[in-house]
Amino acid sequence: MANSGVDTKRRRFLIAATSVVGAVGVAPLAYAFLGSMAPSARALAAGAPVEVDVSKIEAGQLTRVLWQGKPVWVVNRTPEMLSNLPSLDNALRDPNSDVLTQQPEYAKNATRSIKPEYVVLVGICTHLGCSPGYRPEVAPADLGAEWKGGWLCACHGSRFDLAGRVYKNVPAATNLVVPPHYYKTDNIVLVGLDGGKA
Amino acid sequence: MADHPKHNYTGLLGWVEDRFPLMETWNYHLAQYYAPRNFNIWYYFGSLAILVLVFQIFSGLFLAFHYKPDAALAFNSVEYIMRDVPGGWFIRYMHSTGASFFFIVVYLHMFRALIYGSYKGKRELLWLIGMTIYLALMATAFMGYLLPWGQMSLWGAQVIINLFNTIPFIGEQLSVWLRGDFVLSDATLNRFFALHFFIPVIVLPALVFVHMVALHAVGSNNPDGIEIKQGPKGNRWSPDAPKDGIPFFPYYIVKDVFGVGVFLFVFFAVLFFAPEMGGFFLEPPNFEPANALKTPLHIAPVWYFTPFYTILRSIPDPWYGTVGMFSAIILLFLLPWIDKNPIKSWRYRNASHMANLLLFAIVFLILGWMGTKSVEPLYKELGTRMTQIYFLFFVVLGIHSRPFANSQPSNVLGILIAVVLGLLVWIGSGFLSFGGIFAGIVVGLAFALIFMLGNFIAKQYFGKNGVKARYAAWFFILLGLIIFYDVYFRFVPSDTTATVQMLLQLIWPVVYLGVTLLLPALSPSVNAEKPVPERVTE
Amino acid sequence: MKKFISGMLLALSAAVLPVSGVLASTGVELPPVKANIHDKQSLQRGAKYFVNYCMGCHSLGSSRYNRVAQDLGLSPEQVKDNFIFTRDDDGELQKPGDLMTNAMRKKYGEAVFGVAPPDLSLSGRLRGETWIYHYLKSFYADRTRPFGVNNTVFPNAGMPHVLWELQGLQRLEVKEEHGHKTETLVLDQPGKLSPAKYDEVVMDLTNFLVYVGEPSKLSRPTIGIFVLIFLVIFTAVAYLLKKEYWKDVH
Repeated sequence: MANSGVDTKRRRFLIAATSVVGAVGVAPLAYAFLGSMAPSARALAAGAPVEVDVSKIEAGQLTRVLWQGKPVWVVNRTPEMLSNLPSLDNALRDPNSDVLTQQPEYAKNATRSIKPEYVVLVGICTHLGCSPGYRPEVAPADLGAEWKGGWLCACHGSRFDLAGRVYKNVPAATNLVVPPHYYKTDNIVLVGLDGGKA
Repeated sequence: MADHPKHNYTGLLGWVEDRFPLMETWNYHLAQYYAPRNFNIWYYFGSLAILVLVFQIFSGLFLAFHYKPDAALAFNSVEYIMRDVPGGWFIRYMHSTGASFFFIVVYLHMFRALIYGSYKGKRELLWLIGMTIYLALMATAFMGYLLPWGQMSLWGAQVIINLFNTIPFIGEQLSVWLRGDFVLSDATLNRFFALHFFIPVIVLPALVFVHMVALHAVGSNNPDGIEIKQGPKGNRWSPDAPKDGIPFFPYYIVKDVFGVGVFLFVFFAVLFFAPEMGGFFLEPPNFEPANALKTPLHIAPVWYFTPFYTILRSIPDPWYGTVGMFSAIILLFLLPWIDKNPIKSWRYRNASHMANLLLFAIVFLILGWMGTKSVEPLYKELGTRMTQIYFLFFVVLGIHSRPFANSQPSNVLGILIAVVLGLLVWIGSGFLSFGGIFAGIVVGLAFALIFMLGNFIAKQYFGKNGVKARYAAWFFILLGLIIFYDVYFRFVPSDTTATVQMLLQLIWPVVYLGVTLLLPALSPSVNAEKPVPERVTE
Repeated sequence: MKKFISGMLLALSAAVLPVSGVLASTGVELPPVKANIHDKQSLQRGAKYFVNYCMGCHSLGSSRYNRVAQDLGLSPEQVKDNFIFTRDDDGELQKPGDLMTNAMRKKYGEAVFGVAPPDLSLSGRLRGETWIYHYLKSFYADRTRPFGVNNTVFPNAGMPHVLWELQGLQRLEVKEEHGHKTETLVLDQPGKLSPAKYDEVVMDLTNFLVYVGEPSKLSRPTIGIFVLIFLVIFTAVAYLLKKEYWKDVH
């Protein structure tokens, strides 16, 4: 018989030991390989925080910057625009920004911003990633009388108000993302970093 | 097709086995593949070669995620991998170190086949497939070396591709077609990248698979060169298995795992502490971007090509140099038909055969080392002498394959070869010129004369014993041919330095032929073969 | 055509030199120099000298400011204040994550120096520490050269002696004895630094360039030790396993 006089226990132990030690070796190897697919220093440099001088944005205007390769909008909302916001609450899916992943805590407020007039938004539709168009005008012919300004996504028709909040009955399910940002000085907002934690 | 063979597997394994020969394959290639029990250290390199191939494929894949095969971007993309990609340097060094280790392992694997006669006993195809793998490996390595697009990449590839220029009539068009441009350029880099992916990922694994199929059909050779399948049957695992065989799984698997551990220690020691390996694995000039306007001062191919590079350099005529270099590789393919001695392992062959193999290995190493050296008269001559011995090896191997034959080389055969040789030289050095005809006649006549003279001297002094006379005749003939080659093709009366070197270093072929041919002619004990045992030894 | 190829092959083979010690172009072997990339103070000084004296012409196009900062133990602010002088296309100072390029155009470099000053990211690996160290010490006054200086390690280098204020100016003295030429460099006009201090500056620059040639070298051997220790353990266990199974065979 092939198994006569064989110390099966010792064999099992040694097989287990070799396998475990081998696996301990393969794990960091796999980590090194798969880790190389993470963003490189170049990608990180391109995704570095971006400064925006909000004092240069005229009232009602939108300015775009690139952060991590994504469009980021900064809008200087007029008092009139701001006053329109609460009136839309009933038409919106998440008027109070309850979906916490869509904005940092300091932007979970009525205007979704640190300073009420300046809203900072990642300009990518939360439906499938198109970049919605800025439609600040009130009640244009194609958007209906209820429109108080906001964004319309040309791809699938999602609508957002001027705080980036999503309307009901549109493909997108969540509000536009407010990226981490803070005011370095009164006029300079740094997009990409939270103030306290940076 | 008939029904699947019956099996006793149940459950999931049974379900699979009904549909796919999973356990059948496992058993055929591993659990019930009986390999000789006496494998020694030389038998690690086959499995290690597969390990390195896997390393190369995976590290190559992850490098390709970041590499850019574009002449304007390639060099910087490699540095991007080395610095910006997380852990990129490790993957890159794994790939570059792996390339060199691939050749180390393969060269040792091939030498193993040489010393134990693993190309014999219905293993000719196995050997041919293996040699094809080696060729594919060289092609892959050559193309891979272009990809970093450094100075060595560019100029190394430039020189090698220009070898094709030397082919008569079609050469120039061929090399332009290979490059896809009139110079080595972005087009070349682009296709080399594609081929550097295609060959190792598709062609090499397919060849390795066929290599394994052939091996497992014939069965493994072993250090004693005994066919265990023809020996007694019955071992503790099976009554019909060869008595000297043990199942590959688990015994050689666990042994190979240990071998992998030792190998990886050496591999990672180099990778982490000397990835450039003193300029042999990564050559310093390749840290400068390719520049078509400036050849670097120090240029040499990577070490694994240098033996053949030296052969190329030592033959002054470019076309014959190219022919020489490629025939140095092609001759290796023919080993099974050159060495017909029924004894496989050098353990039981005569001492001269052993000496022949060892000297061949040493000559190969010297040729390799020389490829990194400049062409000073001393080295130039050494390279030529080593090249001569490289080719003599195959003739001597053939002579050794019948150690007790007592017939001297036939003069008729000699004259026939002389005629063929004369014709070749005539064609080669100008078919329509008087010089060509003259050269052909001189070479043919000289060859025939040397042949007959060698036979004559041998008969005079070693005539009583046919075996001795045969060795002696070959010694004189081969030495005579070397001297004729030197005098006719290489001797330049005005170049005294070269002549002195030529004379001094004649010692190398004399010693080589003396050890392998004259010694067995003088002492029968050197020619004695040992009895091959019935069963494998420990 | 054959002649051309054989000529080329010959020229190539003639160019193949032994890969041994580092030679000055005069053929004299240079005394070997060992760079120390773990001396952070020296690397920081070297980096500072580099951006001040070299980077106007020589970029480090594969290297990023923030990586250098991290490896040398500097804060991003220190790097910003001390190292970043290059402005990008928009006229703004480069960011810490940017590659350490300079603003010199290739055409301009060629016009002024004959050859565009090479990027030095890999000079530590291409030339090696011995060459760099001796090169920076071997400038001497030579009126026949466009910049008034020549170099014994790299004759006819198309580069001014940017560190001359520190080193001073050297003169080449050639002595001939028994047909044997010996070349020595003599300091003619002392610079701001003593020769010993200047050697330190050159060593700092050498260290920095060797570091920049391969930043991963800082951590490579450390990781290597752990990998090798692991492999010793693995091989030992695998050996025991092999021995246990092979009891069946022996």
